[in-house]
Amino acid sequence: MMKPHRRKRLGLVLFIAFGMSVAVALTLFALSQNINMFYSPTQVANGEVEAGTMFRIGGMVKDGSVEQQQESLAVSFVTTDYTNDVPIEYEGILPDLFREGQGIVAEGRLNATGVFQASRVLAKHDENYMSPEVRAALEQAGADPENHQFRANPED
Amino acid sequence: MAGRWQWFHRLGSPKWFYEKTTRWLPWLVGAMALFLTVGIVWALLFLPPDYQQGHTSRILVVHVAVAGTSLSFFPLMAVAGTVTLVWRMKLADMVARNAAPLGAWFTFLTLATGSIWGSVSWGTWWEWTDSRLVSMLFQFFLLLGVISLRSAIENAETAARACALLSIVGCINVVIIKYSVDWWNTLHQPSSPISMEVGSPNGPEFWVATAVMIVAVYLFLAVSLILTTRNEIIQRENKAQWVRELVAQAR
Repeated sequence: MMKPHRRKRLGLVLFIAFGMSVAVALTLFALSQNINMFYSPTQVANGEVEAGTMFRIGGMVKDGSVEQQQESLAVSFVTTDYTNDVPIEYEGILPDLFREGQGIVAEGRLNATGVFQASRVLAKHDENYMSPEVRAALEQAGADPENHQFRANPED
Repeated sequence: MAGRWQWFHRLGSPKWFYEKTTRWLPWLVGAMALFLTVGIVWALLFLPPDYQQGHTSRILVVHVAVAGTSLSFFPLMAVAGTVTLVWRMKLADMVARNAAPLGAWFTFLTLATGSIWGSVSWGTWWEWTDSRLVSMLFQFFLLLGVISLRSAIENAETAARACALLSIVGCINVVIIKYSVDWWNTLHQPSSPISMEVGSPNGPEFWVATAVMIVAVYLFLAVSLILTTRNEIIQRENKAQWVRELVAQAR
Protein backbone atom coordinates (compact mmCIF):
# COMPACT_ATOMS: atom_id res chain seq x y z
CA MET A 1 0.00 0.00 0.00
CA MET A 2 1.02 3.61 -0.53
CA LYS A 3 1.86 5.61 2.54
CA PRO A 4 -0.92 8.10 3.47
CA HIS A 5 1.22 11.23 3.05
CA ARG A 6 2.24 10.06 -0.41
CA ARG A 7 -1.33 9.35 -1.37
CA LYS A 8 -2.25 12.86 -0.22
CA ARG A 9 0.50 14.40 -2.35
CA LEU A 10 -0.52 12.32 -5.39
CA GLY A 11 -4.11 13.48 -4.89
CA LEU A 12 -2.97 17.11 -4.83
CA VAL A 13 -0.94 16.71 -8.03
CA LEU A 14 -3.88 15.08 -9.82
CA PHE A 15 -6.22 17.80 -8.56
CA ILE A 16 -3.96 20.60 -9.88
CA ALA A 17 -3.58 18.85 -13.25
CA PHE A 18 -7.34 18.34 -13.52
CA GLY A 19 -8.12 21.93 -12.54
CA MET A 20 -5.67 23.37 -15.06
CA SER A 21 -7.06 21.13 -17.83
CA VAL A 22 -10.60 22.30 -17.18
CA ALA A 23 -9.50 25.96 -17.16
CA VAL A 24 -7.62 25.60 -20.46
CA ALA A 25 -10.47 23.63 -22.06
CA LEU A 26 -12.97 26.36 -21.16
CA THR A 27 -10.65 29.10 -22.46
CA LEU A 28 -10.10 27.31 -25.77
CA PHE A 29 -13.80 26.64 -26.12
CA ALA A 30 -14.51 30.35 -25.67
CA LEU A 31 -11.82 31.28 -28.19
CA SER A 32 -12.52 28.51 -30.69
CA GLN A 33 -13.72 30.71 -33.57
CA ASN A 34 -10.86 33.19 -33.15
CA ILE A 35 -8.28 30.42 -33.34
CA ASN A 36 -9.40 29.38 -36.82
CA MET A 37 -6.88 30.45 -39.40
CA PHE A 38 -9.37 31.10 -42.19
CA TYR A 39 -13.03 31.37 -43.13
CA SER A 40 -14.64 28.99 -45.61
CA PRO A 41 -16.55 30.31 -48.65
CA THR A 42 -19.77 29.20 -46.92
CA GLN A 43 -18.96 31.24 -43.84
CA VAL A 44 -18.30 34.24 -46.12
CA ALA A 45 -21.59 33.65 -47.96
CA ASN A 46 -23.40 33.52 -44.61
CA GLY A 47 -22.07 37.00 -43.85
CA GLU A 48 -19.85 35.94 -40.95
CA VAL A 49 -17.18 38.36 -42.14
CA GLU A 50 -17.66 42.11 -41.79
CA ALA A 51 -17.44 44.04 -45.07
CA GLY A 52 -14.10 45.71 -45.73
CA THR A 53 -12.14 43.84 -43.06
CA MET A 54 -8.91 42.02 -43.73
CA PHE A 55 -9.34 38.26 -43.34
CA ARG A 56 -8.20 34.89 -44.71
CA ILE A 57 -10.30 32.59 -46.83
CA GLY A 58 -9.56 28.91 -47.39
CA GLY A 59 -10.91 26.53 -50.00
CA MET A 60 -10.15 24.50 -53.09
CA VAL A 61 -9.20 26.13 -56.39
CA LYS A 62 -12.15 25.33 -58.64
CA ASP A 63 -11.30 23.26 -61.70
CA GLY A 64 -11.05 25.36 -64.87
CA SER A 65 -11.35 28.67 -63.03
CA VAL A 66 -7.73 29.86 -63.15
CA GLU A 67 -7.15 32.72 -65.60
CA GLN A 68 -3.57 33.96 -65.87
CA GLN A 69 -2.88 37.33 -67.55
CA GLN A 70 -0.31 37.05 -70.33
CA GLU A 71 1.52 40.38 -69.76
CA SER A 72 1.46 40.54 -65.97
CA LEU A 73 1.40 38.43 -62.82
CA ALA A 74 -2.30 39.11 -62.33
CA VAL A 75 -4.34 35.95 -61.88
CA SER A 76 -7.97 35.29 -61.09
CA PHE A 77 -9.57 32.07 -59.87
CA VAL A 78 -12.53 30.77 -57.91
CA THR A 79 -12.22 29.14 -54.50
CA THR A 80 -14.86 26.69 -53.38
CA ASP A 81 -15.82 24.40 -50.50
CA TYR A 82 -18.22 22.55 -52.85
CA THR A 83 -21.16 24.44 -51.33
CA ASN A 84 -20.31 28.06 -52.07
CA ASP A 85 -17.83 29.84 -54.36
CA VAL A 86 -15.84 33.03 -53.87
CA PRO A 87 -13.95 34.62 -56.80
CA ILE A 88 -10.39 35.76 -56.02
CA GLU A 89 -8.07 38.22 -57.77
CA TYR A 90 -4.36 38.28 -57.03
CA GLU A 91 -1.22 39.83 -58.43
CA GLY A 92 2.08 38.19 -57.51
CA ILE A 93 4.00 34.95 -57.48
CA LEU A 94 1.97 31.87 -56.60
CA PRO A 95 3.48 29.07 -54.46
CA ASP A 96 4.74 25.90 -56.17
CA LEU A 97 1.80 23.78 -55.06
CA PHE A 98 -0.82 26.19 -56.46
CA ARG A 99 -2.98 24.47 -59.08
CA GLU A 100 -6.58 23.66 -59.86
CA GLY A 101 -8.11 21.31 -57.33
CA GLN A 102 -5.54 22.36 -54.72
CA GLY A 103 -6.39 23.69 -51.26
CA ILE A 104 -5.31 27.30 -50.76
CA VAL A 105 -5.50 30.02 -48.13
CA ALA A 106 -5.69 33.64 -49.37
CA GLU A 107 -5.34 36.82 -47.32
CA GLY A 108 -7.06 40.05 -48.33
CA ARG A 109 -10.49 41.68 -48.35
CA LEU A 110 -13.78 41.55 -50.26
CA ASN A 111 -14.50 44.46 -52.60
CA ALA A 112 -17.91 45.98 -53.30
CA THR A 113 -18.70 43.46 -56.05
CA GLY A 114 -17.97 40.46 -53.84
CA VAL A 115 -14.57 39.67 -55.38
CA PHE A 116 -11.84 38.78 -52.88
CA GLN A 117 -8.77 40.97 -53.48
CA ALA A 118 -5.90 38.83 -52.22
CA SER A 119 -2.62 40.33 -51.07
CA ARG A 120 -1.14 36.88 -50.38
CA VAL A 121 -1.90 33.33 -51.53
CA LEU A 122 -0.63 30.23 -49.68
CA ALA A 123 -0.90 26.64 -50.86
CA LYS A 124 -2.32 24.12 -48.41
CA HIS A 125 -1.04 20.59 -48.64
CA ASP A 126 -3.43 17.81 -47.70
CA GLU A 127 -2.61 14.68 -45.73
CA ASN A 128 -2.27 12.45 -48.80
CA TYR A 129 1.05 11.43 -50.30
CA MET A 130 1.50 9.39 -53.45
CA SER A 131 4.06 8.86 -56.15
CA PRO A 132 3.44 10.25 -59.66
CA GLU A 133 3.00 6.64 -60.90
CA VAL A 134 0.28 5.89 -58.34
CA ARG A 135 -1.52 9.07 -59.28
CA ALA A 136 -1.35 8.27 -62.97
CA ALA A 137 -2.66 4.76 -62.29
CA LEU A 138 -5.53 6.14 -60.20
CA GLU A 139 -6.48 8.58 -62.93
CA GLN A 140 -6.41 5.86 -65.54
CA ALA A 141 -8.68 3.70 -63.41
CA GLY A 142 -11.21 6.54 -63.45
CA ALA A 143 -10.82 7.49 -59.81
CA ASP A 144 -10.39 11.16 -58.96
CA PRO A 145 -7.44 11.33 -56.57
CA GLU A 146 -8.04 15.00 -55.83
CA ASN A 147 -11.64 14.57 -54.89
CA HIS A 148 -11.09 14.58 -51.17
CA GLN A 149 -13.27 17.05 -49.36
CA PHE A 150 -11.58 20.22 -48.24
CA ARG A 151 -11.88 20.26 -44.49
CA ALA A 152 -12.82 23.90 -44.14
CA ASN A 153 -14.82 23.79 -40.94
CA PRO A 154 -14.13 20.59 -39.03
CA GLU A 155 -16.90 21.23 -36.50
CA ASP A 156 -19.66 21.12 -39.13
CA MET B 1 5.51 -2.14 2.95
CA ALA B 2 8.39 -4.01 1.44
CA GLY B 3 7.78 -6.65 -1.17
CA ARG B 4 5.25 -5.21 -3.55
CA TRP B 5 6.88 -1.79 -3.83
CA GLN B 6 10.48 -2.94 -3.64
CA TRP B 7 11.05 -3.04 -7.39
CA PHE B 8 9.78 0.53 -7.65
CA HIS B 9 12.21 1.83 -5.02
CA ARG B 10 15.10 -0.05 -6.55
CA LEU B 11 14.26 1.73 -9.82
CA GLY B 12 14.91 4.99 -8.01
CA SER B 13 18.43 4.02 -6.99
CA PRO B 14 21.05 5.92 -9.02
CA LYS B 15 23.51 3.07 -8.56
CA TRP B 16 21.07 0.52 -9.97
CA PHE B 17 20.34 2.82 -12.93
CA TYR B 18 24.04 3.39 -13.62
CA GLU B 19 24.89 -0.31 -13.57
CA LYS B 20 21.93 -1.34 -15.73
CA THR B 21 22.52 1.34 -18.35
CA THR B 22 26.20 0.39 -18.61
CA ARG B 23 24.95 -2.92 -19.93
CA TRP B 24 22.14 -1.50 -22.10
CA LEU B 25 24.04 1.37 -23.76
CA PRO B 26 26.03 -0.61 -26.38
CA TRP B 27 22.81 -2.27 -27.58
CA LEU B 28 20.89 0.99 -27.68
CA VAL B 29 23.67 2.81 -29.56
CA GLY B 30 23.97 -0.08 -32.03
CA ALA B 31 20.25 -0.16 -32.71
CA MET B 32 20.17 3.64 -33.04
CA ALA B 33 23.00 3.62 -35.59
CA LEU B 34 21.26 0.89 -37.58
CA PHE B 35 17.84 2.56 -37.66
CA LEU B 36 19.30 6.02 -38.38
CA THR B 37 21.34 4.71 -41.31
CA VAL B 38 18.45 2.73 -42.80
CA GLY B 39 16.02 5.64 -42.29
CA ILE B 40 18.24 8.31 -43.84
CA VAL B 41 19.41 6.19 -46.77
CA TRP B 42 15.82 5.14 -47.46
CA ALA B 43 14.53 8.70 -47.26
CA LEU B 44 17.23 10.10 -49.54
CA LEU B 45 17.55 7.33 -52.12
CA PHE B 46 14.51 5.06 -52.16
CA LEU B 47 11.52 7.12 -51.05
CA PRO B 48 9.42 7.88 -54.14
CA PRO B 49 8.85 11.60 -54.81
CA ASP B 50 5.38 12.90 -54.02
CA TYR B 51 3.22 13.75 -57.06
CA GLN B 52 2.79 17.33 -55.89
CA GLN B 53 5.80 18.14 -53.73
CA GLY B 54 8.42 16.20 -55.68
CA HIS B 55 11.58 15.71 -53.66
CA THR B 56 10.57 18.18 -50.95
CA SER B 57 8.58 15.41 -49.25
CA ARG B 58 11.87 13.81 -48.10
CA ILE B 59 12.17 16.54 -45.47
CA LEU B 60 8.98 15.21 -43.89
CA VAL B 61 10.62 11.89 -42.97
CA VAL B 62 12.82 13.80 -40.52
CA HIS B 63 10.18 16.39 -39.61
CA VAL B 64 7.46 13.89 -38.69
CA ALA B 65 9.86 11.73 -36.65
CA VAL B 66 11.33 14.65 -34.71
CA ALA B 67 7.93 16.29 -34.21
CA GLY B 68 6.33 13.10 -32.89
CA THR B 69 9.22 12.51 -30.51
CA SER B 70 9.20 16.09 -29.27
CA LEU B 71 5.64 15.55 -28.04
CA SER B 72 6.85 12.85 -25.64
CA PHE B 73 8.99 15.19 -23.52
CA PHE B 74 6.25 16.81 -21.44
CA PRO B 75 4.53 13.47 -20.63
CA LEU B 76 7.97 12.04 -19.73
CA MET B 77 8.83 15.02 -17.52
CA ALA B 78 5.34 14.93 -15.98
CA VAL B 79 5.67 11.26 -14.99
CA ALA B 80 9.16 11.91 -13.59
CA GLY B 81 7.81 15.03 -11.88
CA THR B 82 4.95 13.14 -10.27
CA VAL B 83 7.44 10.60 -8.90
CA THR B 84 9.54 13.51 -7.60
CA LEU B 85 6.55 15.17 -5.94
CA VAL B 86 5.03 12.04 -4.44
CA TRP B 87 7.97 9.71 -3.74
CA ARG B 88 10.86 12.25 -3.67
CA MET B 89 13.14 10.06 -5.76
CA LYS B 90 16.38 11.74 -6.81
CA LEU B 91 16.74 9.76 -10.02
CA ALA B 92 13.35 10.87 -11.36
CA ASP B 93 14.36 14.49 -10.95
CA MET B 94 17.70 13.91 -12.68
CA VAL B 95 15.89 12.44 -15.68
CA ALA B 96 13.40 15.33 -15.77
CA ARG B 97 16.16 17.90 -15.52
CA ASN B 98 18.13 16.43 -18.42
CA ALA B 99 15.03 15.91 -20.55
CA ALA B 100 14.16 19.63 -20.69
CA PRO B 101 17.12 20.89 -22.80
CA LEU B 102 16.85 17.81 -25.03
CA GLY B 103 13.18 18.55 -25.54
CA ALA B 104 13.96 22.14 -26.44
CA TRP B 105 16.39 20.95 -29.13
CA PHE B 106 13.85 18.47 -30.54
CA THR B 107 11.16 21.15 -30.61
CA PHE B 108 13.55 23.58 -32.29
CA LEU B 109 14.40 20.97 -34.95
CA THR B 110 10.68 20.38 -35.54
CA LEU B 111 10.09 24.09 -36.07
CA ALA B 112 13.17 24.45 -38.30
CA THR B 113 12.47 21.48 -40.58
CA GLY B 114 8.79 22.42 -40.80
CA SER B 115 9.70 25.98 -41.70
CA ILE B 116 12.02 24.86 -44.49
CA TRP B 117 9.34 22.55 -45.89
CA GLY B 118 6.67 25.25 -45.56
CA SER B 119 8.72 27.86 -47.38
CA VAL B 120 8.71 25.64 -50.46
CA SER B 121 5.28 24.02 -50.24
CA TRP B 122 3.06 26.63 -48.64
CA GLY B 123 4.91 29.72 -49.80
CA THR B 124 5.62 30.93 -46.26
CA TRP B 125 8.18 30.21 -43.53
CA TRP B 126 5.85 31.00 -40.67
CA GLU B 127 2.17 31.76 -40.03
CA TRP B 128 1.24 33.31 -36.70
CA THR B 129 -2.40 32.41 -37.26
CA ASP B 130 -1.84 28.65 -37.58
CA SER B 131 -2.63 26.97 -34.27
CA ARG B 132 -0.38 23.94 -34.92
CA LEU B 133 2.64 26.15 -35.57
CA VAL B 134 1.98 28.48 -32.66
CA SER B 135 1.24 25.72 -30.12
CA MET B 136 4.52 24.04 -31.10
CA LEU B 137 6.37 27.34 -30.61
CA PHE B 138 4.63 27.60 -27.24
CA GLN B 139 6.06 24.20 -26.29
CA PHE B 140 9.54 25.52 -27.17
CA PHE B 141 9.08 28.51 -24.85
CA LEU B 142 7.56 26.31 -22.12
CA LEU B 143 10.66 24.10 -22.21
CA LEU B 144 12.93 27.16 -22.01
CA GLY B 145 10.72 28.20 -19.09
CA VAL B 146 11.26 24.88 -17.31
CA ILE B 147 15.04 25.20 -17.83
CA SER B 148 15.19 28.76 -16.52
CA LEU B 149 12.82 28.01 -13.62
CA ARG B 150 15.29 25.36 -12.46
CA SER B 151 18.20 27.78 -12.46
CA ALA B 152 16.16 30.65 -11.01
CA ILE B 153 15.34 28.83 -7.75
CA GLU B 154 18.36 28.38 -5.54
CA ASN B 155 17.08 25.55 -3.35
CA ALA B 156 17.44 22.37 -5.42
CA GLU B 157 14.43 20.62 -3.89
CA THR B 158 12.09 23.59 -4.34
CA ALA B 159 13.33 23.97 -7.92
CA ALA B 160 12.65 20.29 -8.61
CA ARG B 161 9.09 20.56 -7.29
CA ALA B 162 8.35 23.77 -9.21
CA CYS B 163 9.65 22.24 -12.45
CA ALA B 164 7.63 19.07 -11.79
CA LEU B 165 4.42 21.08 -11.49
CA LEU B 166 5.16 23.14 -14.62
CA SER B 167 5.87 19.90 -16.53
CA ILE B 168 2.54 18.38 -15.46
CA VAL B 169 0.67 21.52 -16.52
CA GLY B 170 2.65 21.63 -19.80
CA CYS B 171 1.11 18.29 -20.81
CA ILE B 172 -2.11 20.15 -21.61
CA ASN B 173 -0.27 21.88 -24.46
CA VAL B 174 0.75 18.51 -25.91
CA VAL B 175 -2.93 17.61 -26.30
CA ILE B 176 -3.53 20.99 -27.96
CA ILE B 177 -0.63 20.48 -30.40
CA LYS B 178 -1.86 16.99 -31.29
CA TYR B 179 -5.47 17.96 -32.00
CA SER B 180 -4.96 21.56 -33.21
CA VAL B 181 -5.22 20.42 -36.84
CA ASP B 182 -8.56 18.69 -36.15
CA TRP B 183 -10.14 21.30 -33.90
CA TRP B 184 -9.38 24.42 -35.95
CA ASN B 185 -8.75 25.50 -39.52
CA THR B 186 -5.02 25.40 -40.06
CA LEU B 187 -2.58 25.70 -42.92
CA HIS B 188 -0.81 22.64 -41.49
CA GLN B 189 -2.17 19.37 -42.83
CA PRO B 190 -3.80 16.85 -40.44
CA SER B 191 -2.11 13.51 -39.66
CA SER B 192 -1.96 11.22 -42.67
CA PRO B 193 -4.02 8.03 -42.70
CA ILE B 194 -1.89 4.93 -43.24
CA SER B 195 -2.61 2.52 -46.05
CA MET B 196 -1.29 -1.05 -46.02
CA GLU B 197 -1.56 -1.43 -49.77
CA VAL B 198 1.51 -0.80 -51.91
CA GLY B 199 0.66 1.52 -54.79
CA SER B 200 -2.22 3.31 -53.09
CA PRO B 201 -2.16 6.86 -51.66
CA ASN B 202 -0.26 6.91 -48.32
CA GLY B 203 0.97 3.38 -49.04
CA PRO B 204 3.86 1.64 -47.23
CA GLU B 205 6.41 3.00 -49.74
CA PHE B 206 5.75 6.40 -48.14
CA TRP B 207 5.39 5.72 -44.44
CA VAL B 208 7.84 2.85 -43.75
CA ALA B 209 10.84 5.19 -44.03
CA THR B 210 9.16 7.55 -41.56
CA ALA B 211 8.36 4.67 -39.19
CA VAL B 212 12.03 3.59 -39.25
CA MET B 213 13.07 7.18 -38.58
CA ILE B 214 10.64 7.48 -35.65
CA VAL B 215 12.24 4.43 -33.99
CA ALA B 216 15.71 5.90 -34.72
CA VAL B 217 14.84 9.26 -33.17
CA TYR B 218 13.30 7.64 -30.08
CA LEU B 219 16.47 5.56 -29.65
CA PHE B 220 18.51 8.74 -30.04
CA LEU B 221 16.39 10.33 -27.32
CA ALA B 222 16.92 7.34 -25.02
CA VAL B 223 20.68 7.28 -25.57
CA SER B 224 21.08 11.05 -25.05
CA LEU B 225 18.93 11.03 -21.93
CA ILE B 226 20.77 8.06 -20.42
CA LEU B 227 24.20 9.58 -21.15
CA THR B 228 23.35 12.98 -19.62
CA THR B 229 21.65 11.36 -16.61
CA ARG B 230 24.70 9.14 -15.99
CA ASN B 231 26.87 12.24 -16.02
CA GLU B 232 24.64 13.86 -13.45
CA ILE B 233 24.64 10.75 -11.25
CA ILE B 234 28.45 10.82 -11.13
CA GLN B 235 28.36 14.52 -10.21
CA ARG B 236 25.60 14.39 -7.60
CA GLU B 237 26.71 11.13 -5.97
CA ASN B 238 30.43 11.92 -5.96
CA LYS B 239 30.67 11.15 -2.23
CA ALA B 240 29.12 7.68 -2.53
CA GLN B 241 31.44 4.72 -2.11
CA TRP B 242 30.55 3.10 -5.43
CA VAL B 243 31.20 6.29 -7.41
CA ARG B 244 34.59 6.74 -5.76
CA GLU B 245 35.51 3.18 -6.65
CA LEU B 246 34.35 3.76 -10.21
CA VAL B 247 36.45 6.90 -10.54
CA ALA B 248 39.46 5.19 -8.99
CA GLN B 249 39.09 2.37 -11.49
CA ALA B 250 38.98 4.75 -14.42
CA ARG B 251 42.21 6.46 -13.39
